[in-house]
Amino acid sequence: MVHTGAVLSMTGIHKQFGDVVALRGASLSVDRGRILGFLGPNGAGKTTMMRMIFGLVHPDAGEVSWNGAPVDADIRLRFGYMPEERGLYPKMKIAGQLIHFARLSGLSKADATDAVHHWLGVLGLGDRADAKLDELSHGNQQRAQLAAALAPNPELLVLDEPFAGLDPIGVESLSDTLRELAESGVAIVFSSHQLDLVEDVCQDVAIIADGRIVLSGGLDEIKEQSTRRRLTVDVDGAPWIPDLAGVEIVQAQGRAHCIVPGDAPVAEILAAAEAAGSVSRFAFEPPHLTDLYRVAVGP
Amino acid sequence: MNKWNLVWLLAKREFVERGRSKAFLITMAILAAAILAIGPVTSALSGGESEATTVGLVGDSLPGVDEELETQGALFGVEIEVTRYASMDEAESALEVGDVEAVLVDNKELVFQEKASPGLTTIIIRSVDIVLTEWSLSDLGLSDAEIAAIEEPAPVSVSTIEESNVQDDAKQGAAFVGAILLYVSIIMFGQFVAMGTVEEKQNRVVEIVLSRVQPWQVLMGKVSGIGLLGLVQLAILLSAAFVSAQLAGFTDIDIAAIGLPIIAGVFFWFVLGYAFYAFLYAAVGSTVSRQEDLQGAIILPIALILPGYLLAIAAAENPDGVVVRIGSMMPMWAPFVMPVRIASGSAAPWEIGIAVIGCVLGSIALVRIGSRVYTGALLRTGTKVKIRDAWRAASE
Repeated sequence: MVHTGAVLSMTGIHKQFGDVVALRGASLSVDRGRILGFLGPNGAGKTTMMRMIFGLVHPDAGEVSWNGAPVDADIRLRFGYMPEERGLYPKMKIAGQLIHFARLSGLSKADATDAVHHWLGVLGLGDRADAKLDELSHGNQQRAQLAAALAPNPELLVLDEPFAGLDPIGVESLSDTLRELAESGVAIVFSSHQLDLVEDVCQDVAIIADGRIVLSGGLDEIKEQSTRRRLTVDVDGAPWIPDLAGVEIVQAQGRAHCIVPGDAPVAEILAAAEAAGSVSRFAFEPPHLTDLYRVAVGP
Repeated sequence: MNKWNLVWLLAKREFVERGRSKAFLITMAILAAAILAIGPVTSALSGGESEATTVGLVGDSLPGVDEELETQGALFGVEIEVTRYASMDEAESALEVGDVEAVLVDNKELVFQEKASPGLTTIIIRSVDIVLTEWSLSDLGLSDAEIAAIEEPAPVSVSTIEESNVQDDAKQGAAFVGAILLYVSIIMFGQFVAMGTVEEKQNRVVEIVLSRVQPWQVLMGKVSGIGLLGLVQLAILLSAAFVSAQLAGFTDIDIAAIGLPIIAGVFFWFVLGYAFYAFLYAAVGSTVSRQEDLQGAIILPIALILPGYLLAIAAAENPDGVVVRIGSMMPMWAPFVMPVRIASGSAAPWEIGIAVIGCVLGSIALVRIGSRVYTGALLRTGTKVKIRDAWRAASE
């Protein structure tokens, strides 16, 4: 996948831990001002890839580069990271430790203080700045964690499962925050298992399975380019399945849909449906992300 | 930002947060109070400033026995005071509370509380004997001058070949106290390093930190921040020891002359010893993920430190023993043993040189080994990481 706006590129990454091969030539790129959803089953290598961006794991082969230059400690100071394993100092005051982390990212004391209070305000923690971490609710601890990643005003934001454990309001406000950041030019990549959410928030996706990127690109393009289509038909108020070769039935949004070849005879199917009864819904559309994911990751 | 500025930021956090923790403050308060109390308490127990020995008299007593007791005491180098008691009951209770050392009853019986002091017994018996003899001689019609000539003390003078040197004894005692303080401090602050390392692993903070700085910076920051706190604690405890010695009121010892070199020595050897052990503590701390597992992991540094402590005790007794001499030059034990040998004046300059160089080289080696294990183990959570695996992982 080649985007002109790619700022972070990971190419041909191999990594083996002892006898376990974690990554087999995985490549990933993140564009400036866009949000990439990073998907894949547990253990597929998402966290390892993300850790590699921050030098926490070193690739056996392959390259991690930023605007074409290999990523080093100085470049990493422009990145913000929220690890999957959330962690801050439980007994330190929120603002105090976030300022500490922001300063580790290279900000001056004054800039770090300003940035931390700005983000705590944006994320609704303005009045808890002097509370200790372990006095906060789970959701607020998560927000503090995000503030830690945002305070250095990064050009690249890497979030490992940022939506896990958030309530619907939290999900919405995080989504809005990410969109605003992307609009301001930040490159964002986050991993998630919530495909609907990814479809909602991301312009780009990359799906990793068994150490390889099996599908990647702009979400709309991938959908258009897919050779399959999703067909949803209601006849007499109930889901209706056409009698057609190559039909695959999937359950989504609490009902059955059909996945059919892109060149399926739409007119004939509609006629068959009308012959069966009163058609109240007939949708022939690009596959949803869940459909693409299922095919890409395999059974 | 400069690499070392980051180390300084990390060190500052360690110093402030650890220095603020209850565990640290309480431990230090207890230690400081105990040290402050040692001087006055020992001085009180040992009777303080060489007070006079009191002898009680009960019942009939010969006129002149009081003066004779004082005279004889002076001959034996003991200041004797005489107190009269109206009854035996009174005298016994005075013996019990220690107001009086011995009670002479009717010039016939000498009573001690628990154990008879041979010196005091001799003085008292001799005084009674002299007074009685004077009386007999006087009865025989001898003049006072004749009696005095007969009673003239034997012309035997007492001397020692070596002059007893309280300064030297005090110096060695202080060095030994310094060695104990070193031992306690190195273990305490080494443990803080290990605990801090595990805490960051357990809280998962380590990933946040390592996404910004290098493992060696985290390690250096932690070790130096906690080390600085160690120096602060040492300064406070040594000041307490200094004040404690003043309170004890040793009039015949120059506390400043003895104390200041020892204090300087304790700081010097703390830096060397702490540098050596802190990285070891960090390495073993990084191999576990939970505080509960830490006790097992720190057996290694403790097992290395303990012989040093035992050797320091041995060195206080016999600073020239072969084992002590060898131990005082080994990098892992030198910080505990060498200061005691130096205070006793038995350490040759070349021996001190070997000890210091060994400590520096040993610390450098442990910085490297410790950093590598730390780096390799830091992001591995779950079960205990084997030191060998961590070593290998760091090269991946």
